[in-house]
Amino acid sequence: MSRESRRPAGRRGALAALAVAALLAVSACGNGSDSSSAEADGPVQEGGTLRIAFNQDSYSNLDPSQNFWIESRSIDRNLVDSLTDQDPKTGEIVPWLATEWTVSPDAKTYTFTLRDDVTFSDGTKLDAEAVKTAYDSVFELGALASLGATYLSGYDSTEVLAPNKIQVNFKTGNAAFLQATSTTTLGILSPASYDIDPQKRALGDFVGSGPFTLDSYTPSQSAKLTKRDDYAWGSGINENKGAAHIDKLEVTFSPEESVLTGSLTSGQLDVAWPRNPFSEASAETIKASGATIDTSVLPGLAYNFIPNVNGVLGDDAVREALQKSIDRKEYAATTFGDDYPVAKSVLDSTTPGWSDQSELLGYDPKGAEALLDAAGWTKGADGYRQKDGKTLEIDFVTAWGGWDLIQDQLKKVGIKLNQKLVTPAEYTQATNNGEFDLTASYYTRGDADVLRTLYDTAVVKPGSGPGAYAQKPETVAKLKPLFDDEISQPDTAKRNAAFAELQKEIIASGTLFPLQDRAQVVAKSDKVHDLNYTAETFLRLNDVWLSK
Amino acid sequence: MSAADIELGPVPGPSPDPADRDGTANRSRQTLRALLRRPGFLLAVLYVVLVLVSAVAPRLFAPGDPTRTVPKDKLLSPSLDHLFGTDELGRDLFTRMVHGSALSVEATVISVGLAVVAGLVLGVFAGYAGGWVDSLLMRFVDVLLAIPSLLLALAIVTALGFGTVNVAIAVGVGLTPGFARITRAEVLRVKTLPYVEAARSSGAGRTRILARHILPNSWGPVVVLAVLDFGTAILAVSSLSFLGFGAPPPQSEWGSLVSAGRTYLVTSPWLTLLPGLAVGAVVYALNHIGKTFEEIQRWQ
Amino acid sequence: MVQYTVRRVAQAVGVLWAAYTVSFVVLYLLPSDPVSILLNQSGGGAGRPSAEQVARIQEMYGFDDPVLVQYLTHLVDALRLDFGQSVSLGQPVTSLLVDNLPPTLALAAVALLLTLVIGGGLAFVATYVSWRPLRTFLHRLPAVGVSFPTFWVGLLLIQLFSFSLGWFPATGSDGVSTLFLPALAMSLPTAGILAQVLIRGLDDTLDQAHITTARAKGLSRLRIHTKHALKNASLPALTILGLLVGFTVTNAVVVETIFSRLGIGRLAQQAVLAQDIPLVQGIVVLAAFAFVLINLVVDLVYPLLDPRVLQRGPSRSRDRRETPDTLELV
Repeated sequence: MSRESRRPAGRRGALAALAVAALLAVSACGNGSDSSSAEADGPVQEGGTLRIAFNQDSYSNLDPSQNFWIESRSIDRNLVDSLTDQDPKTGEIVPWLATEWTVSPDAKTYTFTLRDDVTFSDGTKLDAEAVKTAYDSVFELGALASLGATYLSGYDSTEVLAPNKIQVNFKTGNAAFLQATSTTTLGILSPASYDIDPQKRALGDFVGSGPFTLDSYTPSQSAKLTKRDDYAWGSGINENKGAAHIDKLEVTFSPEESVLTGSLTSGQLDVAWPRNPFSEASAETIKASGATIDTSVLPGLAYNFIPNVNGVLGDDAVREALQKSIDRKEYAATTFGDDYPVAKSVLDSTTPGWSDQSELLGYDPKGAEALLDAAGWTKGADGYRQKDGKTLEIDFVTAWGGWDLIQDQLKKVGIKLNQKLVTPAEYTQATNNGEFDLTASYYTRGDADVLRTLYDTAVVKPGSGPGAYAQKPETVAKLKPLFDDEISQPDTAKRNAAFAELQKEIIASGTLFPLQDRAQVVAKSDKVHDLNYTAETFLRLNDVWLSK
Repeated sequence: MSAADIELGPVPGPSPDPADRDGTANRSRQTLRALLRRPGFLLAVLYVVLVLVSAVAPRLFAPGDPTRTVPKDKLLSPSLDHLFGTDELGRDLFTRMVHGSALSVEATVISVGLAVVAGLVLGVFAGYAGGWVDSLLMRFVDVLLAIPSLLLALAIVTALGFGTVNVAIAVGVGLTPGFARITRAEVLRVKTLPYVEAARSSGAGRTRILARHILPNSWGPVVVLAVLDFGTAILAVSSLSFLGFGAPPPQSEWGSLVSAGRTYLVTSPWLTLLPGLAVGAVVYALNHIGKTFEEIQRWQ
Repeated sequence: MVQYTVRRVAQAVGVLWAAYTVSFVVLYLLPSDPVSILLNQSGGGAGRPSAEQVARIQEMYGFDDPVLVQYLTHLVDALRLDFGQSVSLGQPVTSLLVDNLPPTLALAAVALLLTLVIGGGLAFVATYVSWRPLRTFLHRLPAVGVSFPTFWVGLLLIQLFSFSLGWFPATGSDGVSTLFLPALAMSLPTAGILAQVLIRGLDDTLDQAHITTARAKGLSRLRIHTKHALKNASLPALTILGLLVGFTVTNAVVVETIFSRLGIGRLAQQAVLAQDIPLVQGIVVLAAFAFVLINLVVDLVYPLLDPRVLQRGPSRSRDRRETPDTLELV
């Protein structure tokens, strides 16, 4: 790093020069640590405590039936089991607590045969009654478990056919239910857990059948898990189907990337797992210290902008221009580096049902400007467009920063984006109630039905999510039949055809504006081996082991 | 937050003859000459003036657009093209700092202004009225001091919301006690001077005495405190914006710049170091100026 | 002495009560729509607040009662150490404070220790050396320590001593080694203040006749200086102890955030970000309590060192000690 030698004046300058010189000298020798990491993994070693740090615990809710926060779901994945699991490589649904199942052709009836050797950590048996209690309770939670409710849309009842056999009945076809049974949201808690007050459950007061139990949970600070020695029913996607190799898991939360990076490279952490990918600089530092970085694209909704068609974005020309004004390649490369995948649809590329829509997502500022000019939005002296005395201003409601690049990209075509930063709670409130012109969101799920659960206006009513405000009536008319088709159609090929049509229509109508494919980046020290992820890229602790 | 230089207060030395207090041209010239002979003082004034000018007319020093992103030029180290380097979106740091100084200065001026006015009102009232009014008001001031001012500021920001103006108000409230105290002390001192007594007994109204005798003679320590408090205020304002309660992006208040640069501390330390350095330098310069004023006053 | 003690304790209680009132006014009466703020949190993600949810909040916090009733209810609760429920973390405020206090206390203790060592040491050396340039430099140094923002100093320390040299961990609250860097960052501004006060005190009294006499008697310069420093430093140091504690509390917010340490400071930052009114109030009152307590202790110890204090009239303690007004700033 070269520095122009302007002779700094005075003590202040000397101090600065001294500081910078010290930094230079010291950082030069700081990171060239000897990476004696043995690449050959060698035999599995038992024991140890795995230390992971996430960024934030924003909603502080550890109840799998209530939460949606990714980090919370990662922790929950090791506390509760689900009826099925999803293969991360193929997206296929494989047996777990259920050994086999049948689906009716109209996707209204599902029967599952369960294992009979499963117990909850309090010793009680996990049988058909327990599963019935679980599904009934999730449904009854209503608004508090809005996610579960959408997974169980059309739910009628669960019948116990035998101690190890259940039948789940739906009033309307639900072709996405099979995948839903593999989620933590529909994970099985002990029947007694569902009698506990939801607020207490949020703080970790529940019992599951997973390979780990919760020792302690301090919201926004830490979570400690201990393995269950008698665990013996891991799903088929794991090498190790019995008790975990590590003894304990310690989770902490650290919002600053530099601190995560530093803690990992100095050995205070085993795994650094930020919400957003590391900056290039941090990635270099991490690799130099001998740690490795896993990158996986999460399935589900990509990071999309969501418009509110009741405001300025009700103008079709503005929405069309907006779609053309976002330079997705520049955004990905600048924010995350040249290797980062570029969004090609409203879904992430690893979602079953994804289809490439990049021809509709090209960066075309000239086209955008032409559209706006034709619609009567003329550029003013300050560079922003005006029509009938009003500036083309979009209030973008968000709970975190980092939108400066987009703001500038839109400025180039004359659109004024105002960043409205609010607290997470206010954000949920504002987006649920349509108090925004534009907002942004993503959702992780291994099934494209997530498009329906968040953007079908029949499902998302005003007050329950931003998706309720994103479509004009003519768009609703086009999308509705496609949503109905995919949810009631158990045949995968036919479903995917419906999904392809949905993605095309959503983009063309300006219902969603893709920004970024979501890649998850996890850095692990060289002591961590076989750290695996679920199909939805959550943490899976069955196989991981630590070398001494 | 840190205190301004605390070498103020009752100081040994001959007390000035009250008769001279009404200011003479000769004394002013002497003061000016004394000030001009101190290089440290001049340097400090120059830097502070630079910051003030950049706050009022940023384009003078940085004609570019602080929000203009040039992704291909991201994270460049300082060079002739980019005096302070560029940030993660390719924006010129120097330009951002110069434009950001407007926010920092605005918040500081508002907060000190608020404190001076409020403190003046409280102090004059208390000192002049005396008795239980005085006790009550000073108790109130004591209470404000019992709550550590950053926490008081945090409480105010929680209630009012984030943003430059609210931060300024929050900081200003914390600074008020100092001004109230000083003003009150001065009022008490001047109130008992013979010529003021004389004016009163000759029938001059309260307001007249206040305006013509008390206020003009009290401004000395107030000015010194104000200068020092500018430094304190800048530190407080940048701390609050560092913690995330200041102006929303893409505004480039100095505290937010330090916070944003944290992610790149290891590889691009100038992003964090330079704005922080600028803040420290301003505070130090203001300290120095305040201390010099106080020394000058001491002689008079 | 008894009369003095009683008076001081009564004063302390009064100030504490007033501090509580100020925090109540600021947090519950200032916001334009406190119900909204509190509701945002409790509503979670469940959509538009229903009339019942609004009514529930109003009842829980007593917003539909007259202000005086609200205030008295809150005050009575506070006396029972019940500050309500944290809206963002779902736990009682009191238990959150209790859980987070130990790490901050540990940090504060180490920081104050470092303050004494660094500040005292600097003052000693600055007044001892006779070589002009060094003396001037050392006299100016405390102001530098006080000028630079703690968040900047903290980051610099992390970069130098943690990431580059690897001597100390950058984050965490477990273990003694995590205390050093944050405590150091916190102690520099307060050390600067302490040094300034001590330097002024020492310089003022250094050229006195009895010192010349002592020199004439043959005592070494160092010994004289040491004895003199100790004798004259304890009172001023004690005087500003309360102020230093206030500073330390203040700096803890920034330092704990930067170093990702558990503690009241980080709790405060998160509470403000989430507009968690009950939690913020709990923290403010706790800090005021600590500050008032320390000052009370100092006020009660002071007469033991300087009995003249007892003879003065019922003016405020700070005036009695002739502390510069501006010390109270921030």
